[in-house]
Amino acid sequence: MRAMGTDPGSRAWGLSPVLIFALLLALLGTWQVASAGWIHAKATLAQHLIASAWSGARAGGPARRPWPWADMRPVARLTVPGRGISLYVLDNADPRALAFGPAHVGGTAAPGSAGNAVIVAHRDTHFAFLRDLSPDDEIDVEGAHGAMSRYRVREVSVVDKEETRVLEPADAPLLTLITCYPFDAVRPGTRLRYVVVADRIG
Amino acid sequence: MQAVRDFSKLIIQAFFGGIGVAVAMSLAILLLSANSQAATINDAKAGTLLIKDSSVDGGYAPAPQVATEVAIDVTGMIARTRVIQVFHNPGSGFVEGVYVFPLPEKAAVDRLWMKIGTRVIEGRIREKEEARRTYEKAKAEGKKAALVEQQRPNLFTNAVAHIGPNDAIEIRIEYQQALAYEMGTYKLRFPLAVTPRYVPAAAAIPDEPKALEAQPLEDGEELVQPAYAPDGCGGLNTVDIAISIDAGVPVGAVTSSYHETVIEKAGGRTMISLTKDQEEANRDFELTWTLAPGAAPQAAMFTQTRGDNEYALLMVVPPQPTAAERAQFERMPRETILIVDTSGSMEGVSMTQAKAALEMALDTLRGSDRFNVLEFNSGMRTWLPTAVPATADNIQRAREWVRKLRAGGGTNMAPALMFALDGTETPGYLRQVVFITDGAVGNEDELFKLIVQRLGSSRLFTVGIGSAPNGHFMTKAAQFGRGTFTSIGDVKEVQEKMGALFAKIEAPVLRDVQIRWPNGTPVETFPPRVPDLYLGEPVLVAAAAKAPLGTVVVTGLRGNQPWSVALTPPPDRDAAGVGALWARAKIASLMDTLAQGADVNQVRPAVVNVALEHHLVSAYTSLVAVDLTPTAPTEGLKTAMVKASLPQGYVGGGLPQTDTPATLQLLLGLFALMSAAIVTMLGRRTARIA
Repeated sequence: MRAMGTDPGSRAWGLSPVLIFALLLALLGTWQVASAGWIHAKATLAQHLIASAWSGARAGGPARRPWPWADMRPVARLTVPGRGISLYVLDNADPRALAFGPAHVGGTAAPGSAGNAVIVAHRDTHFAFLRDLSPDDEIDVEGAHGAMSRYRVREVSVVDKEETRVLEPADAPLLTLITCYPFDAVRPGTRLRYVVVADRIG
Repeated sequence: MQAVRDFSKLIIQAFFGGIGVAVAMSLAILLLSANSQAATINDAKAGTLLIKDSSVDGGYAPAPQVATEVAIDVTGMIARTRVIQVFHNPGSGFVEGVYVFPLPEKAAVDRLWMKIGTRVIEGRIREKEEARRTYEKAKAEGKKAALVEQQRPNLFTNAVAHIGPNDAIEIRIEYQQALAYEMGTYKLRFPLAVTPRYVPAAAAIPDEPKALEAQPLEDGEELVQPAYAPDGCGGLNTVDIAISIDAGVPVGAVTSSYHETVIEKAGGRTMISLTKDQEEANRDFELTWTLAPGAAPQAAMFTQTRGDNEYALLMVVPPQPTAAERAQFERMPRETILIVDTSGSMEGVSMTQAKAALEMALDTLRGSDRFNVLEFNSGMRTWLPTAVPATADNIQRAREWVRKLRAGGGTNMAPALMFALDGTETPGYLRQVVFITDGAVGNEDELFKLIVQRLGSSRLFTVGIGSAPNGHFMTKAAQFGRGTFTSIGDVKEVQEKMGALFAKIEAPVLRDVQIRWPNGTPVETFPPRVPDLYLGEPVLVAAAAKAPLGTVVVTGLRGNQPWSVALTPPPDRDAAGVGALWARAKIASLMDTLAQGADVNQVRPAVVNVALEHHLVSAYTSLVAVDLTPTAPTEGLKTAMVKASLPQGYVGGGLPQTDTPATLQLLLGLFALMSAAIVTMLGRRTARIA
């Protein structure tokens, strides 16, 4: 024990409980940070892979799978002029698809068509920009065959997650963007949703 | 040794210190995030519902609430129901309340009253657009008004304009219905919750888009769904039910299927009321009763004279076959296709019931039968590509497949129905499709057309699951499928009800039913043709004639023997409500022709005529009541959907969850790394001191 006191160097307390504890903490920390990073990396990387699948669809072919084992396809491209936002919308709004991009809610109208087209995405990745949208902002949607539609934001609201009427069909061409609220919440699992409704103007 | 002790102490201190800081930081993080949520709806208190309202400070205002009282009077086999909805506005401004509520699928809604203070205003029946214009005009003029519209034959909306601050408006609606009578038991159902309905995008059937295009009742009309309240708000829209039965003969056992009730018998009447007088409207109410032994009717006829017309309601119960007779009814081998709904709305208790029902169905198969099982949600999945013989081995494998089913996704019924009703027939087999679902769909008409077009010689039997199945869809689907509808509201009922269903569908008890009216009387009946009757089912026919009706003879084939019964109208010729029931049956029959391809431009005027004559709410007519004097400011009226309770046991639905744990993980991770650094430094310093 005395040796440890006289030699503060590495070997003597090399595998002491303190170091093991510190190591465990460091491992846990690295793992958590990596998980968080992985969520953001997936979100960014997938959009690039989808971009090439999309250009294939634009060229007239069928919408390809962005990567061989993907179980979703891009159905639209959403851009916000002037904000540098360009996102590829996937066809199936299940939790797995949402890791890779915004997704169209099955059962609602196709983006760009008459009726209420609903798109959902994560609040901390793809749809983090929704907090900056305000009425009269414009959103462009490009359909699968290059058809362009422009929407203008009509209203922004916060609703409870049971308020499924925001998914209800409409006669007029509408675009409804939904994400979780509040944006900067730390803990996942909120009951509130941030809803942006936009009317087609062209 | 001292050094060792000091060192250990420090390590322990560092360890607990680290954990303490970690816990403190985590708590701080959680508290911070909780605060940021509460701040957005910090007006919310337990049991208060809020609507978004930008004109109010803080952005939210309390939504109106509705308390419901239901009084049902049963006379013979007709029930007259009075529903009182009290709209209460807890807020500080004038609001318009819109309440979506279900009624039994054959309800003939014919009366509306609006009570403001002591004044009572009676509603009038108008064509739907005219009623809406009247209502909107009254609303714009600041008058109190009420409008009752039919969304679906079993789903209505009640809009009430200008409910004053802290004010209550009482709306009274009345309807008539004929009771269901089966297996010697009367059944009365009052729906109290609406399962959210799934409307598939565009045409659900890609290869036949023209013929099967979803046809809304009106151009540009959409299905209004109830707004649901968040969980944990306690009793929201309370309901009180009281029933009085005057059967004319002694009543036997009375059972409330899903609610606790108090039952009293006095002077030939049986009174039933809920024990807790305020129940939340989150599961359907069902009451069944039998008549005292020997008092059960074999045949009954009720008549009512209105103007030049004589209306009649006939019920005939064919005698139950004895065991010897049943042995003679030849049992044909069956090809049974079991379809189960595994959509998100089935999650929870419903799925448990559905699985139990499937297992029960598998149990009843015999070696000579053939069968297949399929599930559907957003898509469809079959157990095997075609039906196979019901060997013990096959049944065991199907059972395992069923056990692994999970609920999730949309409710896209069309592909499953198309697969099951594929027009094929296996010679020598009776083809029966058993369809287990909560019927939570909004594209009913599209599905009815599909059933009509593809049924062939198959029979479709619907089994309703959950605490609030869509009774309209189930009943009609079974009618178009020439089968029957069975409703299961509780896991405990699965065995009994599925057993009864399969016993029933072994063979029809009465076939080729004909009704002979007195000579020379032109009679219009609904249903126009009486279907084959299965075990325990009565003949139930509504008729209208221009001349008084005499004795009527009902004939049919029982097994291979001819059978007949004669009915004479009672001397007391006025049973209230028979005319309305006939009119309701006629409207239903006219609406059914739409599913068979009739032109809506011809059907609509016919429905409007009948509905206006009999003062009935229909797809094309509404009841509207308007106060004469304006009592409210004409500007700034807020509209609020009254929140309905979700059906008990319903866990599906809701908007998708769109947050990730990334931020939380990042913070926890950084914190753990920092702690690691601190612990390392502390460790070094300790080592140096020692």
